[in-house]
Amino acid sequence: MFFLTYLRRELRRRRRQTVVIALGLALGVGLVVTVAAASAGVNKAEAGVLNALYGVGTNATVTGPPVMTGRFGQVKMGGTGDLMLNAHGAESCQDGKCREVLAGQSVQILGPPFSAFTSADVAAVARLHGVSAAAGGLLLSDSALTIPQKAGQAGGSSPLTAPSPSYFSVDGVDTGHLALGPLSAGTITSGRSLTAADSGADVAVVDSGYATSNNLKVGSVITIGTVKFTVIGIVRQPQTGGSPDDIYIPLARAQALIDATGFAETGEVDMIYVTAASSADIPAVQHEIARLLPADAVTTAAGLASEVTGSVTSAAKLANDLGKWLAILVLIAAFAVASLLTMAAVARRAAEFGMLKAVGWRTWRIVTQVLGESVIMGVAGAAAGVGLGVAGAAIIAAVTPKVSATVPGSSGFAAQATVPGGPTGELDPATAPHVLAVPVHPSVSAGVMVLAVILAVVGGLLAGSFGSWRIARLRPIDALSQVA
Amino acid sequence: MYKLTGVTKVYQKGHRTVTAVADLNLVIEGGEWLAVQGRTGHGKSTLLNLLGGLDRATEGTVELDGAGLGALRETQLTRLRAEKIGFIFQTFNLIPTLSAAENVETALIPLGLSRADRQHKIAAALDAVGLTDRAAHLPTELSGGQQQRTAIARALVKEPTVLLADEPTGNLDEDTREDIIALLEHLWRERGLTLVLVTHDTSLARRAQRVGVMASGRLTIRQDSPER
Repeated sequence: MFFLTYLRRELRRRRRQTVVIALGLALGVGLVVTVAAASAGVNKAEAGVLNALYGVGTNATVTGPPVMTGRFGQVKMGGTGDLMLNAHGAESCQDGKCREVLAGQSVQILGPPFSAFTSADVAAVARLHGVSAAAGGLLLSDSALTIPQKAGQAGGSSPLTAPSPSYFSVDGVDTGHLALGPLSAGTITSGRSLTAADSGADVAVVDSGYATSNNLKVGSVITIGTVKFTVIGIVRQPQTGGSPDDIYIPLARAQALIDATGFAETGEVDMIYVTAASSADIPAVQHEIARLLPADAVTTAAGLASEVTGSVTSAAKLANDLGKWLAILVLIAAFAVASLLTMAAVARRAAEFGMLKAVGWRTWRIVTQVLGESVIMGVAGAAAGVGLGVAGAAIIAAVTPKVSATVPGSSGFAAQATVPGGPTGELDPATAPHVLAVPVHPSVSAGVMVLAVILAVVGGLLAGSFGSWRIARLRPIDALSQVA
Repeated sequence: MYKLTGVTKVYQKGHRTVTAVADLNLVIEGGEWLAVQGRTGHGKSTLLNLLGGLDRATEGTVELDGAGLGALRETQLTRLRAEKIGFIFQTFNLIPTLSAAENVETALIPLGLSRADRQHKIAAALDAVGLTDRAAHLPTELSGGQQQRTAIARALVKEPTVLLADEPTGNLDEDTREDIIALLEHLWRERGLTLVLVTHDTSLARRAQRVGVMASGRLTIRQDSPER
């Protein structure tokens, strides 16, 4: 075909210029691909941290004030009541009933760290405009405290600072909304996860770290409160720096455990996980929940993201802001160089185009020829640019150290024991911020590669358009007289 | 074939006004060979450009077969050149990346012929100028004479009715010049072309049926050449 023959020969004749234009476009496009890949990698790293804290499908969580002042009652411990130390040991009171616990004996405390929401609260949140799903969760802690000798005497130690407290956290998971909540972010490494059919069963999924520490496997039996649960699965949670919950059981069973202690109303939860209909709805949903439950804290991923600090956020800013503008500038420069070189080439070929017009070629035919040459250069630039971009992303992956993410402390169980006139001890295993080392994995998506090809071809067309403009204005008489 | 009435062409060069052709009246019959002589800068090439529709007269009319070229749109003029007018330039103006056959083919592209038809005509045109064995050669692989033959083949492949040649032998040595002129004469006779040839060369001009001399934009027709 004459068009392709002419095009091919012409590009070969101007090999050096063709390579320069294609390379220029490749550089601009490659930078776009690399920046996009780096940005995607950093954003994914950041999202991974948030997902681990949040659960993959959760856009907002609602929590009440810590239970020490909350609606679960006048308690000073995240548990069943007061524990007042005295000369003989301690007095444990629950629902107005008290008993003596002698020094050396243990007292079991099972309870939630946060104030309660009712099932009606959860339903009300689920009905809000912009909410696609809402589920309750119940976070409990099971602590066994040993009352030390001389605990209530001057100079005595607190049961919470004595070397005897044992503690594990229990997360009651709504098995009808398994996509919400912290369990959704984990990976089952053994056995299976909870299902909707497990809602009333005494089964548990155990965190992998806790399982290792306590020599648990699928089939093991653990006791929470006074109830035995069978381990059906081991879950590995993403690293968040804090301690993931140790045990996950069906929500109804967690509620039953608390009901048995007389500590709470039936069906109460202490966390509400919310999924918005779209990311655009999240701010409005947050606002509506705050109006519905004004005493409670509503945290969104965006809010949590703003609390995540460290080099991961700096890297995200760098990639998204500086990287983006740098790529745009280089792309503009590449387009400008391509356009100038194409216009220069057209000027040099003025006599050739004048002759073609003289023998009867219409302007559009000559323009098509020039645009065809430019498109080929654009496609070559795109191919090279994608290659450069992928190589750039690989280099970033190889040389970039892990970025740090400082995440806010998890709201762990808090307990406080008071000794009249004596020290106050606190058991608060997870309140300090944590610094995580997060690997960055730049990734080049198909969408970015398509964008790269489009950019390069558009760059080639733009360059060809400037050349074409010159051709359209070219009078054959002027072009031919230049040669003469 | 051609009728020029009161044709004037004026160019603006900065502040200067240049009258390239002044009040020219001329009739060129179909099949006639007209040679136009004159010193450089006196309007010979401008006249040729006006005849070929490459330029438009400032005043007056240029008619080809009764159609005023000045009234035609650019696309119509382009179509006219594609179908009826062949050009031969002093500097050959071949496309350096295309072979002799492909250069000839450029004149057929606007006509929308099938590939087979194009190939047939190209072969015939190259044969007519004696370049069949050079069809695949690039211009850089051809001598000056061969390049001009290729340009002649390009001009004639579409079987035009008019052939406009601007100093076709200007860049050639004497022997080659003679060959090219002989070729042009042969083709003119064989095909009944209307040939307008611009040249400095008096000996070449004498071979034409009529000779005109351009001086300061005005054309003076000598008597018919005694050799004709």
